[in-house]
Order: sequence, then C-alpha cells, then structure tokens
Amino acid sequence: MDLSLNEKRLIKVLEPLKKSDPATLARAMETSAESVIQFAMLLAGRGLVLLEKEVTTRYAHTDEGSRYAREGLPERQLLQSFKDRIPMSDLTKHPLSRVGIGQMRKKGWAVVRDGVVEKTGKDMPGEDEIALKDPSRGGPGIAVLVKRGLLTEHQGTKYLITLTPEGYALAKSGLKIQPEVGTLTREQIIGGSWKDLHLRHYGLGTLPRKIYPGKVHPYQRLLDEMRQILLEMGFAEIYGGLAQSSFWNFDALFQPQDHPAREMQDTFFLKETVPLPPGYEKVKDMHLHGGTTSSTGWGGNWTKDKAQQCVLRTHTTSLSIQHLVSHPEPPVKVFCIGRVYRRESIDSTHLAEFEQLEGIVMDKDVTFRHLLGFLKEFYGRMGFEGVRFRPGYFPYTEPSVEPEVFVDGLGWVEMGGAGIFREEVRAPWGIRYPVLAWGLGVSRVAMLRLGLKDLRQLYRTDIDLVRETPLWSPLQKSPGGK
Amino acid sequence: MAVISLYYRYLERLTGADKETILKRLPMLGSDIERIEENHVDVEFFPSRPDLFSVEGVARAMKGFLGIETGLPGYNVTPSGISFSVDPGLASIRPYLGTAVIRDISLDEEAILSLMGLQEALHWALGRGRSKVAIGIHDLDRVTPPFRYIAEERTRAFVPLDYDREMTMEEILEEHPKGRAYAGIVRDFQRFPLIVDACNQVLSFPPIINGELTRVTGESRNLLLDTTGTDERAVMTAVNILCTALADAGGRIESVEVNGTFMPTLAPTTRLVSARECSALLGIEVTPAELSLLLHRMRYSAEPAGDDKVRVTVPCYRADIMHDWDIFEDAAIAFGYENVRAELPPTFTIGKAHPVITIASCVRALGSGLGYQEVIPFTLTSERVMYTRMQHPVVPGTLCVLHPITEENTMVRTGILPLLLETLQFNRHRELPQRLFAVGDVVEELETYQRAAFVSLHPGADFSEAYAVADALSRELSIPYTPGESGDPAFLEGRRGNLILEGRVAGTFGEIHPAVLNAFELEHSVAAVEIDLRAVPGYPSGLGTP
Repeated sequence: MDLSLNEKRLIKVLEPLKKSDPATLARAMETSAESVIQFAMLLAGRGLVLLEKEVTTRYAHTDEGSRYAREGLPERQLLQSFKDRIPMSDLTKHPLSRVGIGQMRKKGWAVVRDGVVEKTGKDMPGEDEIALKDPSRGGPGIAVLVKRGLLTEHQGTKYLITLTPEGYALAKSGLKIQPEVGTLTREQIIGGSWKDLHLRHYGLGTLPRKIYPGKVHPYQRLLDEMRQILLEMGFAEIYGGLAQSSFWNFDALFQPQDHPAREMQDTFFLKETVPLPPGYEKVKDMHLHGGTTSSTGWGGNWTKDKAQQCVLRTHTTSLSIQHLVSHPEPPVKVFCIGRVYRRESIDSTHLAEFEQLEGIVMDKDVTFRHLLGFLKEFYGRMGFEGVRFRPGYFPYTEPSVEPEVFVDGLGWVEMGGAGIFREEVRAPWGIRYPVLAWGLGVSRVAMLRLGLKDLRQLYRTDIDLVRETPLWSPLQKSPGGK
Repeated sequence: MAVISLYYRYLERLTGADKETILKRLPMLGSDIERIEENHVDVEFFPSRPDLFSVEGVARAMKGFLGIETGLPGYNVTPSGISFSVDPGLASIRPYLGTAVIRDISLDEEAILSLMGLQEALHWALGRGRSKVAIGIHDLDRVTPPFRYIAEERTRAFVPLDYDREMTMEEILEEHPKGRAYAGIVRDFQRFPLIVDACNQVLSFPPIINGELTRVTGESRNLLLDTTGTDERAVMTAVNILCTALADAGGRIESVEVNGTFMPTLAPTTRLVSARECSALLGIEVTPAELSLLLHRMRYSAEPAGDDKVRVTVPCYRADIMHDWDIFEDAAIAFGYENVRAELPPTFTIGKAHPVITIASCVRALGSGLGYQEVIPFTLTSERVMYTRMQHPVVPGTLCVLHPITEENTMVRTGILPLLLETLQFNRHRELPQRLFAVGDVVEELETYQRAAFVSLHPGADFSEAYAVADALSRELSIPYTPGESGDPAFLEGRRGNLILEGRVAGTFGEIHPAVLNAFELEHSVAAVEIDLRAVPGYPSGLGTP
C-alpha cells in the first residue's frame, strides 16, 4: 500500500491513542484540523481508519430573542399589562401591541369582543416560552422561535477518527517515514537531486477542479461553420446595415406597397427616411404595369413616400439586391449571415430578431436545376443527408421552392426557402442573367443542433449553456463530411 | 397564410379520386398539410393562389394534376337580365363593384362550409382584411332587382345579420361584432356604402355586414354575389374565384349589367410564351408540345404556335399569372419537383470573406484566448437598459422603432456593454468568475457598424484588469492608441480611461460604477472594456448606411 507521508504520520500519531478528534491530532502533527480530516478521508478509503462524522445543531438567541428571554415574549408582557379586560384602543398604545395582540389571540389567551380585549384565563406558558428560556433543551417550541427570528440555528460537525485493526496492524509492522516532495523546484531538477527524492504520488480518485475555457458561443460556432461552407463553395461574403429603406427592403424586391408584410403589425418601421436611388422610377413602373417585361405589374398605386421610409431589415435580401445593382455583370456569387427583424411578440418559438443566412448566384445559363443542386450540396455539407423539394411561394422569386431536410426523430423538416428572382426584380437594373437565391432561418438549425426548446436561449445566454456545450460534439459533423 | 379545411367526402366526390391519393400529391402541388382530422384535412395554401381556397378549387386543380381531367375548365355565362347601378358618390369611398347571379344551386352542409371558408380566406388574402375587397352572398329570391350600390346617410337603419332589430349603420359600427372589427375601414367617410334592391330593402352594408333579409341557407337556390372594394382588379378576381367555385358546386352563372357593362365574363386570358425561355429557366429541355402537355395538367389550355412558341390560355381565376415565368413555374410543378435532377452550376468563383466579419472572428479568437466566454445578446433594447441604468445621456442618432411591442424592445443598441451587464444579471446564480464578451452590430445616425465589449465579474475585478485587457486587445488588433481621461459616468471616476486614436475615442475601459452595478443587481465589481471596431485597420469605411 502506497501511503503518502502525511497518511503515515497520522497512523503513527493515532497508534498510541487508538481514537481521537482532529484538533488533538492536528496539534500532534503540527498541521490544521482540516488537513487531518483530509488525511483521514484518504486513510478511511483504504480501510485503515474509521472516520465518524456527527452533525450537531445549536441554537442561539438573536438580540431580540435574548431580550424576550429576560422580559417575556411580547404577548406575555402585553397580557400582564392589564387586568381582565381592556379597550382595544388603550391596548394598542402599548409599545409591543403590534406583535403581541395577534399572538395573544392566536394562542387563545384573549378574545376581542366589541372593541374590548378580554382574557380567557387559558394562558399557561407555551412550548415556545419554555424553549426560549433554555434553547439547549430542544423541544417543539424551537421551530416556532426560529421562524419568529428569536433563535438562530448553528450547525457544527464533529469528527472522530479511530484506527481500524488493519490500520493498527500496519502501524505495528513499522512505517518508514521519509520526507515527500510535492512540487519539484528548479534546483532539484537541474541539480539532479530529484533522483534521491521521495516524490509524492497523487491519487486519481479525487476529480480535478472544473475549469471553463474561454470560448465562442455554440450558436456562433454554427454560424461560423455555415460561413466556412459557403466560402469553400466559392461565395463572397457581404455585409450591410440593419436599417434599410422600404425601397430596398420591399419595393426593389417587387413586394407591392399594400402587401401585409408592409403593415406596421409585421415590420419595425423607423421615423427616418432616406432619398431613393437613381433609377427608382423603373421600379415604380414595374409595380404599376410591369415595365418593359411580360409582367402586368401589381397595378394600384405606388408612392415615393412609402418607399423612402426606413425599416429594420426584414431579410438580408435587401443587401443581395443592392449588391446585384452595383455588380450587374456575371458571375456573382455572394452570401450574407446577418440579423433580421420581425415585429413579433416574443415567445419560445418567435423572436423579434434572429439570424438569416442567404446566398445568391447570378450567372449566364444558371437554371432551376442548378438552384436545387446548390441547396442539396449546402444542406449535405451541413450534415443533412436527405434533402427534398416542394413548390413554395415568395413574392420575389419564380419558380419558388421549399427545401425540406430529414432529421432523425422529427422526419422531414422545412428548412428555409429558395427560388429564382422574378424578372420584375432584376429588369429595372439591367441585370440580364438569372439570379438563384436562397435563405434560411439559422436559429432553427441551431435549435436542432443544440437541442434547445426555447429560441430565447440563444440570445439571453445562460453562461452554463456555453460552459457545458462541448466545443466539438458528435452532432458537429466535420465541415464537408457527409 | 390561408388554412383551408377540405372535407374528404366532398373533396373525393368533386375530384373523383380517393383521399389517400389526394393527400399524397397535395404538397407537390404547393401546400403544407397542417392537420389531418377524421372528416377533413386542414391545408395551408400560398397567398398567391386564392383559387385554391375552396374544396371546389382544390378538386379542380387536383383533377388536372392527377390526370383525371386536364385542360381549361369551361364556364358558361348567360345574361340574367338583372342590372345593378353604382352611385358616382362612391368614387372616393369604395368605388368598385363586382357581381354575378348563381342559379339553381343546392348547397349541402360541406359545400356551405367550403363557401364560408373561401369567403373568409379571400377577405384575408385578396381583401387585406376587407379593406381592398369585401364579399357578400345573398339569397336572390328574397329581394327584387334592379339593385343599387349607393353612398347612404350614416343614420340609415336595417336589420344586420345575426340580429333581430333594426340598427343604424352608425350603431352597427359601435355595437355589432363585425361592425367593431371593421369600423376602421369606413369610419371617416361622410356617407357609407350600401346595397339596396328596387324596393329600397337593404342587402348589405359593405364591407361590414349583410342584412339578415338575404341570409343564405341550405334552402337557397338562387344567389346574388356582391364584391366591393378599392382595387378593380382584386374585386374582379374575387368574383371570378367565387363564381367558378360555385359553378363547380353545381350552380349556373349569369351575368349582371353594371352601369352598362355585363359581368362576369369568366373569360380566360391568353399569353404567348417561349418553350426555349422555359427550358432555359428550369434547366429542363421542353419542346412546345411537351410544354403544352405539362400546362394542360395545370388546367391551362395550351398549343404550339409556331417556332418555339406556345399559346397559353389562362383560366380567369388565376390572378397570380402576372408574368410568363409564373406559367413556367406551373410547368415545373406539373413536371414534378421530385423529378428535377439537381445539378451544381458550372459557375466558377473564388470565395472571399468580408473584412468586417473577419475582424469580428479575430475578436472572438482574442476573447477565447483571454478566457472570456462569448454571448450573443439581442440588438433590440430599451432606453432604460442602454442609458438610464448606465447613468449615460441618450446617444444622438439613437434609432427608435415606431411601434414597439414591449417596453424592452424600443430601440436598436448603440453599444454592447449594457447588454453584457444585463447578461451578467441573468446569470447572478452562476459560478464566479464570469468573464463574458460579445461582438456585433450597433446603429448610430442610421450607420450600422461593429463594436465589441468585454466584462469580468469577480470579487477582485478592478481598473488594472480592465486596462490590461483593453491594452491587449488594442495591441492584438493593431490599434495604436494613446490613453486618455474618460468622463463616462458608467465607470468610477479615477478608475476609467479612453483609448484615443487620431483624436477620437476608439474605446472605453475601467471599473463599473457601483450605482450601475446596483442598477443591474450585481454584487461584485466588474472590469469592463468596449471598443469601436472601426478603429481596427482594414475596417472598411462607408458601409452600413442605407
């Protein structure tokens, strides 16, 4: 048995005593009582000593409690302050009346009739009064007094350490006591004296203290993973403002001015306005009658005022269209991961802000088939092996598609939307080639990946979520792995 | 989204297929199945297809999709001899009227449910909550033509639906549930829209409520339809969708003369589209003949018209066909999305990270290295958290939302530090030390840009810790700052500083003021740093402004 120096010393000290308490042993070993308990725990684990623990409870008077212990409880003092009866209005003048009257009635010592307090004669000293005089006797009165704040509870732990027959045998067999070394010093290492030292062995039974490395939020790691996938697929990243004009957020995407999403119930409007960009008239024409395309347009009215009003962007498509307008020549492949806003009441499945991922591809000869190809590849790299497509509807794409991915335990889950930009969207800006586009509410993927039940957990962070979510978890398939 | 209840018996009878086949194929036509019940299924259809908001409409589309009956459905309209006049005084109130007569109809319970569901969904999707279009359906035999659509005194009284006494139109807006719900559409007008018959009996007070007089029941055989609104196209679309559904339910459609014009005609429109353009869009080679066949399954009539052209006849209820591509999408749906072979495009491009996001990633690496844990707070916050608790004056150019839902979400953050202190507040019961950071967007004067903030909460957190972190971040981010005195009241005087770069404040650091700690219910000192990432070399300028 490989005992540490301290364990050996404790056995030695204990040998003549057979049993003792930590304080006595600590004096003999010139250490602290806490250390003795530590050593004893180790020895107890080896069956060499018996460590008995006794928890004792002691009650002490609070300041208020010790005053009442001398003078009597407020209700007792109050009861003694009058003869058989007293008008309530007089009794309330007594300094202890606020506490005392209630207790007196509760204990049945007195009753109140027509504003007069009358003794009942049943006023034998209660359990609480007995306990207050001498708390060390215990009894049922103690709990009442603790609750009234007249006593406080103090818990103490006493240990008794006894040498077992095995320990005694070991002590008899003679223990070699030799100084042990914990931390090696520089001198010991370079001087070679480490060869002669007795190095302390550490046990594996005691688990290490938990340390929490600094790290990136698990949700951010997912966003980074998606970003990495898109960069690997040859997309350039774009970034832009949270505040956008209605023009770029809606009009340029052929969302009619009376569309429900443009009502104040659904979108966060701002008081700020910005001037419209040059060429806005073509967008207006598109809305009114379809411009020079085969489209009929929406008809109705189109006002500049409505287009100039700023909103918190409802999708990052407002950035994609602006990028296309400034880069109308093919090929364009860009993506964006950014915060978007919806005027929603917040609950476990709805937030007023969340991340959206969006990608577009504009090139000669790209088709609907290519759009589906991109979606399959992207979701595959995200770890979703089963992907299928259903018809969808978005105001600015035609054809539109709703991709679904297969999730174990959930089945087919709708995962974002996609389509080809309508000609009405690109024609006003001279963008001649098809634009494949798709978007995805990333928080949904995060819920699946992190196993969260409530979307708010992503943003109103419980530090323990970050601390306890492993940086590399089995769900986190290797980027590109299938 | 419009959720429509489809009753199996009626659906199977109209479609001529069993419900299992229909349910299996329905999503591939463009819908989400919400709930499958014993006698019906609730299905969500896209707002672009109001013609699918009834059992009749779905059956019509499914018959084509399943190949049971393809091509353009024919609808005959004969004159009813009835006329309807529109008062010019309505021009500024609710100018457009659409109407039709439906004869010899017999509606069973499921057909009535379907009709009511259709009416409600049209009010929502096409009618924008009745403001753009409102629909009334009447028992024609209870009233006497000709009919008049007039602008009437607000005090005119009649018995509204579900009531047994006369009420003035003003009273209806005050007391009737429908009146209260839709009062906003008409309240400001001097006179209200009203539909009356030859004997001056009231049929309807559009867009609010019909009269009790013309209530439709299972016994009704002849119906009068009125749709009124502010947009002529939408009003006529509603008439076309309702008439075709009622015709499919067994009715005969008759036209009404409105100010000299006969309506409805239920006449299809035509488009000449290119098969080549369709092939190029979808990536599926289709000849004009193949395209025609696909379109027949989507209930168009289509025939090759020379070269690569196809002449497409579009049924009157398809209000969503605005552009040739709308027809091509239908061709893809008929082809079956599941049959489209996905393929990666040949487009060659090189990926490129955006510097703003790369800088943010760099900050995250530093945060982790310094032992800080990242959090991702909301960007929407309140003046109370952002300024009051921070003892900070309101930053000029703070972006406030016009109609906040809650007091917690009234503005976009102008800094991140207050949100971190709030996160510490949520985590009061968690183990110390707590070292947190966040990086992300803030908005000031309409400009969106990125900031990063760091907080360290533990009993020993102090100025020198904050200064050391601020210095380390600045060195690692290549911000050659000089330290300067800070006046930020969120920090303790004498224990705070600014990072100054080219005469501008690029960051602030120090020990958080105990009054601020109190405001966030924190019990230990906090060392904090906030940095404006525009100070990082390579951060692009002129971004993020609309």
